[in-house]
Amino acid sequence: MKGARAAVELLEKQNVQVMFGIPGGVLLPFYDELVQSDIRHILVRHEQCAGHMADGFARVSKKPGVCIATSGPGATNLVTGVATAFMDSSPMVAITGQVETDKLGGDAFQEADSFSLMMPVTKHNFRVTDPKVFPETMKKAFMIAMTGRYGPVHIDIPVDIFRAEITDEQMAKEVRIPKPKRNLSELLDAIKLLEKAERPTIMVGGGVAWSQAGGEITRLAEMLMAPIVTTLMAKGSVAENHPLVLGVCGMHGRQVANYALNNCDVLLAIGTRFSDRVTGKLSEFGRKTKVVHVDIDSSEIGKNVKGRVALVGDAWTVVNALIAGLQKRTKVATWRARIIELNKQCTCNYDLCSEPLKPQKVIHELSKNLPDDAIVTTEVGQNQMWAAHFYKCYSKRMFITSGGLGTMGFGFPAAMGAKIARPNCVVADIAGDGSLQMVSQEFATAVESDIPVMICLLNNGWLGMVKQWQKLFYGSRYKATQFTAGSPDFVKLAEAYGAEAIRVEKHSEVAEAIKRGCKAEVPFLIDFIIDPEEDVLPMTPPGKTTADCIKGRCQWKGEVC
Amino acid sequence: MEVMMLLVYDQPGVMQRVMGEFNRKRINVETIVVGKCEVPDRARIVLSIEDKEKALSVIEHMRALHEVIEADLVDHSRHEAYALLFSRDGVCRVTGSVDEVDAIVKKSQPERYVQAMNAI
Repeated sequence: MKGARAAVELLEKQNVQVMFGIPGGVLLPFYDELVQSDIRHILVRHEQCAGHMADGFARVSKKPGVCIATSGPGATNLVTGVATAFMDSSPMVAITGQVETDKLGGDAFQEADSFSLMMPVTKHNFRVTDPKVFPETMKKAFMIAMTGRYGPVHIDIPVDIFRAEITDEQMAKEVRIPKPKRNLSELLDAIKLLEKAERPTIMVGGGVAWSQAGGEITRLAEMLMAPIVTTLMAKGSVAENHPLVLGVCGMHGRQVANYALNNCDVLLAIGTRFSDRVTGKLSEFGRKTKVVHVDIDSSEIGKNVKGRVALVGDAWTVVNALIAGLQKRTKVATWRARIIELNKQCTCNYDLCSEPLKPQKVIHELSKNLPDDAIVTTEVGQNQMWAAHFYKCYSKRMFITSGGLGTMGFGFPAAMGAKIARPNCVVADIAGDGSLQMVSQEFATAVESDIPVMICLLNNGWLGMVKQWQKLFYGSRYKATQFTAGSPDFVKLAEAYGAEAIRVEKHSEVAEAIKRGCKAEVPFLIDFIIDPEEDVLPMTPPGKTTADCIKGRCQWKGEVC
Repeated sequence: MEVMMLLVYDQPGVMQRVMGEFNRKRINVETIVVGKCEVPDRARIVLSIEDKEKALSVIEHMRALHEVIEADLVDHSRHEAYALLFSRDGVCRVTGSVDEVDAIVKKSQPERYVQAMNAI
């Protein structure tokens, strides 16, 4: 059979049901074969969004998302989507077309060295130059994306490979799946440390969301009487209505979570890479703390935080091993009681009813009115941090955000990918006007492919987070952060594409609008006109410790460290 | 000086991927030698780095690469070096211990030379 036919069959064999992309010259043989296939192809309007949709799909389904773009500009546009998935360890298979093998390196039309471009932003990547290994390479790509620490894999396929003849024998060649890497040799040390700990804290990261170990970790927390703090990536992986779950820690985290992080004597860190947004000043982080670091990726251990007990393995396996080792022991409950009390004190009232509309009020109403299985995605900036701080994620709710790369414009396409993975769930993108304008063309995709997501636009007319930094750290010298006459009427914009939209300026209209959005059968935008003067607070300035926290409305009176 | 030895697939792009990690971590490679080895379709990379801590920090990242089969820091109690000296009289090859080769290079003051230190 021809290479293009082989490619489609290999995707079908990997149980790929949907792929996101845009065709182009060198992909024509592939798209011609796709005509015969049951794989659903979502035609996006920009390749970057194909990447984000595949990413959103993967984060919900825990299966690799597949996206495809043509050579040259298609591949360069796709880079942002792939890099976003890489930083958040999302499994993805990204396919790009390429000019003929014998034209490679000759600056042919639409040629770019996508193999080199993708190399630093993928878990692994391939350039197929020999049709004999093409089927094997496709299988390897899916295997690598889904083994160990998940990640995106890129395959660059020259157009002559699609035209080449592939034998059944080549198609049948299987790839070896490596055994998961584990190293639990320090398990006893970890158990001893945790048993002796007077003030243990568990910090969970994105690895727990991928490993779906939230239930086990909550059990472990109850055994250790330890509070759980989450990173941004882990929000939603443990139920936030549990008394021991303190919510998101870090730069814009809840103060009680930062308190637990800074005042514990033993920190059990699971599936997290100690991002600078969590640790603040690295030299000050965990000076008084003994760290047990659990990660599936051995290269993460000791990368940012040194001097630790290391357990290499996936979160679910290691946590179960810890639970087995710790059984039947009781502990003094003073730390637990103190944390629960502090957590109650940290629950402030953000049902703000002043005018102009406050973003906290919008998030509060989303928490109250979204169903228990709703999926929330965010863009990047103030909208993301308000959502992380104030949105309550529990039950079957999910929270999806670009934590590592911080890609503005991620939330809307990721919401579409999530909606395709779970068509029966309400999927809401908490957006900002800056981010949404980076991907607003995707309304066309949402309407055309019938993907009814809700966009809750927190519209303040500014690149709000940058503005906030200019205000706090650059003497309010605003430059290039305000959108003046150029901002569109977002309601008209959405309607122009055939979506529904309403504008909300009063706090009394927020809940009703959200309820309407949940029931909408077409893409639905709510343009919340919010107070441009409202900052995301509390905030620990970059490179500082929680002692330097800027509190704003935050009522936290507890100690800092 | 630390010496790292890698067993890798012998195919295009591998050097770029390996060096990409060194680049990201801002590690300068002092010497690098690559060649075919006893295993068919595999190559061995031997390279040296000034700083031990940096060498240790990158080794797990090497092991995480899919085209790298083995990555280890090797014991180099015997410091081997190789140099090519170019002068008006022609090309001269020097092998020996690091100290020996270093001394010969310094003494002969060639117009141009290249030294592979600790990596063979």
